[in-house]
Amino acid sequence: MKPYIVIALKNITNNKARTIVTILLSSLSTAILIFSTAFMDGQHKIMLKNAVELYPGYIQITHKDFRDNPSFDNLIENSNKLVTTLKKNKKIASISQRFETFVLFSSDTKSVGAMIAGIEPKNEKITSKLEKSLLKGEYLDEKDKNLVYIGAELATKLKVKVGDTISFIGTGADYSFCADNLIIKGIFQTGLFEFDSTSSFVNKKYFDELFVSENLSTHIIIKPKDIENAQFLSDEISKTLPKDLDSQSWKEFMGSLVEAMELDSIFGYITIGIFFIVIFFVILIYTLLSVYSRIKEIGILRAIGTKKEEIFSMLLFESVVLSFISVFIGGIIGVILAYYFNINPIELGAEFEEQFKQYGLASTALPTDFNLLNILRDMIIMFILCVGSTLYPIVKVNSFKPIEAINHV
Amino acid sequence: MFRYITLLMVTSIFLWASSAEDIIKKVEDNLNGKSIDMKISMIVYTQKTKRTMKLQSLSVGKTKSFMKVLYPKKDEGITFLKLDNIMWQYVPKIERIIKIPASMMLQSWMGSDFSNDDLARESSIADDYYQKLLSQDDNSYILELLPKEESTVVWGKVIMNISKQYYLPVKVDYYDEDGELIRILYYKNIKQYGKRFYPSYWEMIPQTEDKKGRKTIMTVDSAIFDKEIKSSYFTKRALKRYSK
Repeated sequence: MKPYIVIALKNITNNKARTIVTILLSSLSTAILIFSTAFMDGQHKIMLKNAVELYPGYIQITHKDFRDNPSFDNLIENSNKLVTTLKKNKKIASISQRFETFVLFSSDTKSVGAMIAGIEPKNEKITSKLEKSLLKGEYLDEKDKNLVYIGAELATKLKVKVGDTISFIGTGADYSFCADNLIIKGIFQTGLFEFDSTSSFVNKKYFDELFVSENLSTHIIIKPKDIENAQFLSDEISKTLPKDLDSQSWKEFMGSLVEAMELDSIFGYITIGIFFIVIFFVILIYTLLSVYSRIKEIGILRAIGTKKEEIFSMLLFESVVLSFISVFIGGIIGVILAYYFNINPIELGAEFEEQFKQYGLASTALPTDFNLLNILRDMIIMFILCVGSTLYPIVKVNSFKPIEAINHV
Repeated sequence: MFRYITLLMVTSIFLWASSAEDIIKKVEDNLNGKSIDMKISMIVYTQKTKRTMKLQSLSVGKTKSFMKVLYPKKDEGITFLKLDNIMWQYVPKIERIIKIPASMMLQSWMGSDFSNDDLARESSIADDYYQKLLSQDDNSYILELLPKEESTVVWGKVIMNISKQYYLPVKVDYYDEDGELIRILYYKNIKQYGKRFYPSYWEMIPQTEDKKGRKTIMTVDSAIFDKEIKSSYFTKRALKRYSK
């Protein structure tokens, strides 16, 4: 073993107080970095997951012009046959057909325009969170006739409760006039105000009779078995579809939300960045002080013939060893924190519920994101930061002449 | 000789000026009669579908009209009442009378290419528009109608092609305020009903891109003109009463 390595290790072990403070500072910073990125990513992931799974779904098939012009000229025709074909794909967990249109609802006292959608109650249980959002009454089933499942805010607007009757007028798929009375079977609340105040659902079989939409759909929603692969599966499905249809993954049709999350991440990283610039200088100053306190020692080493490079290597080796130990300890703490809060989400309590609703979060539980790659990335960042912050003090102290160093006060 | 020609020209100019208004009055009178009791079939074509409706229409003069849907079964018994410019609809399935608000007058009537406004206001052309005779030939007059400032009409310009023989419209072009052609209405197959002549085939073809492939055809199955129609048809109570 080279002598400067031996001296470096002795320096670390002999100077216990300094070693412990350095390790404590750096490992704590590492743990904080790992936890805060895990928390932020977790928050974004749960927002997206909630928003996607609530109703839009991971993959949507529509007529290619439907998104720009949602008219009855742009419907999925022969949708039953398409669903049968799609079911052969083993990567698909569930498929459900929807027919969405807008109608005018009216109760005894109020009239409100809102969306009504014919859905397949059984399939929709898997593809969306409609059933889980039940607030009062019951969710729909396949045999339902003129029973409606209505958003809580819409029910409030119409001043109705479960068991009440509302009527609607609208336009069928053949542009004919449609009207009927509906009995409220259930009321749901997703927490998304916009959705809860403009949406209602009925059994598609009943809907088809009324709106002349047999074998027609506006959307086919697909839930992949592996949700991480939604984009890939969507592209694969796209190739097999008839020319006038189009398949999009949530990353495409919810692009604005994805972008908003990305922007939020950037701001998050800027905040974390500022925090770490502070940490960088704290470590730098601390190292500077501790190296300066050893300046006489270094001067003597130089005087007895140790080369500048050897001094540099010695100090750098010390720094690398300390940083490595700190990052390792910090990493373990970070992993434990990220993993623990991934399984036991942080509960923020009822007072935050309002703000959470704006982001489409139904619950205030926030699990962290447990991603080993991200943790490794954060550990590497911290290691570079720790070693980097000691470079200036090392170079500075090495620039002294031996005689100056020995006489330094 | 020259003097006669001048005189002829002057008088003909006067004739021109007055005739546009007269023509419209005659046309409106021919279209509305004193009263009409009609059975109409309406076929609505969209890009992919074709749908038939049958209805009965009762009207007195320009201002009062009552309509009832007879077919299909799904819509049977839906009634409409128009008094002056106000329109109501009764839907028996939900037992409700709906007042069609001004904001919905431009909306399609029962999914056809005729608007609520067509059914409620078509007859006010003589009152709401300035008429100008653009040209004429042996068979027809061509009239330009521009909305009066105070009237609340939906069209920026209407060009009417009127048959000289019957004083009935043959073709009507509807333009919006930007001068874009929105739709064309053709009146064809003029038939004699009693003493009156009346177009028995109306064809509305929207011209805008978003309504490509759509058209609505209305044919008159039977029509009785100028008979006495019970005044009880033109009250709000009639909506429910005559729905059955």
